[in-house]
Amino acid sequence: MIFTWYIYAGMAVAAVFLLFGLGRLDENAQGAWVFRPLLIPGVLLIWPLVIWRCVILWRGEEKLDRHRMPRRRQERVAVVFACAIPIIIFAAMFVRQDPAALPPPIQLEAAK
Amino acid sequence: MAKTQEPFFVGWGKVPKDLRLFLICCAVGLVVGFAAMAYATASTQEDTGAGAFMGQTRATGVLQVEPYPILHVISSPHFEKGDTILLSGNGKRGAIDQAKDHDGKIVQIRGFRLDRGGLQGVQLRNGQRGLRPTENQETSMQIPVESLGRWKLSGEICDGKCLGGAMRPGTGLAHRACANLCLLGDVAPVFVSSGPIDGSEFLLLSNEDGQAVTQDILDYTAILVGAEGEVERHGDMLVFKISPETIKVAQ
Repeated sequence: MIFTWYIYAGMAVAAVFLLFGLGRLDENAQGAWVFRPLLIPGVLLIWPLVIWRCVILWRGEEKLDRHRMPRRRQERVAVVFACAIPIIIFAAMFVRQDPAALPPPIQLEAAK
Repeated sequence: MAKTQEPFFVGWGKVPKDLRLFLICCAVGLVVGFAAMAYATASTQEDTGAGAFMGQTRATGVLQVEPYPILHVISSPHFEKGDTILLSGNGKRGAIDQAKDHDGKIVQIRGFRLDRGGLQGVQLRNGQRGLRPTENQETSMQIPVESLGRWKLSGEICDGKCLGGAMRPGTGLAHRACANLCLLGDVAPVFVSSGPIDGSEFLLLSNEDGQAVTQDILDYTAILVGAEGEVERHGDMLVFKISPETIKVAQ
């Protein structure tokens, strides 16, 4: 019963948030509608969090910059990985075993 | 409402002017980069060869259970009399459960033929549909066993089913996990030699006593190794009676 009402509340929040709130919070979402139905299942489950985040953003207490990496070092590590992975792959091609370098069969003892 | 200070690209929005050049460079770079990576990777791979499933088959022959089930063919529409073929079960399983009670008997087998040139095999159907002894057990066919001496061989330890054509590739490091799963399922291990011995590059593996050797070779599958042991010819198939303590990874 509680879960049913929780979902009903989520549907109301989803309707308001996706129809009116999202474009105000994120200017990049203005005029974009096709993707919004995809958010409905998520909003139904975490609508209290959606309301909490909307209030914070409306008050201007936090900038909408969650795409930025939380730590500066993370950006440098990403660059290192982007360089290291191709180097590892190409190095593996050079150090791998070569079947052409194998010696031919050698008979150690003749059949008795 | 928060204001963004820097242009930020999202898939569903319009592309900011300042990011158009960056986006084009990324898109072209990814396509060219992945194409180059795919070409470099594919061009350095060995040819997977012509091994493959060759359709349904049947055969009658003498069954040899140790070290692993093989059949010395007496008659078959697809194999020559005297051919020796590796037997395996469905999936990653060997044929020992079907074969263990019929060692030395004349049996009839049905299944799917595997062929990689010098290595032939059959994936048996389940149960007695795949392998059953014939009513007539009289035969004049003798299985000749001939010692070819002691050899030092270099090459790769594979599972006989995938190598025979069940997988492409059935060799190489990329196939290591699959090979070990097959061997743990009692599929026969096969040594692929760097050169032919008495006309064949494929040798069925056994231990020095001529019995199954699976547990001793699992750490050396799918990589290039060297090993010593006696080589015997059982009918049409070579058996490498490997000495596990002599196995060394090739440099």
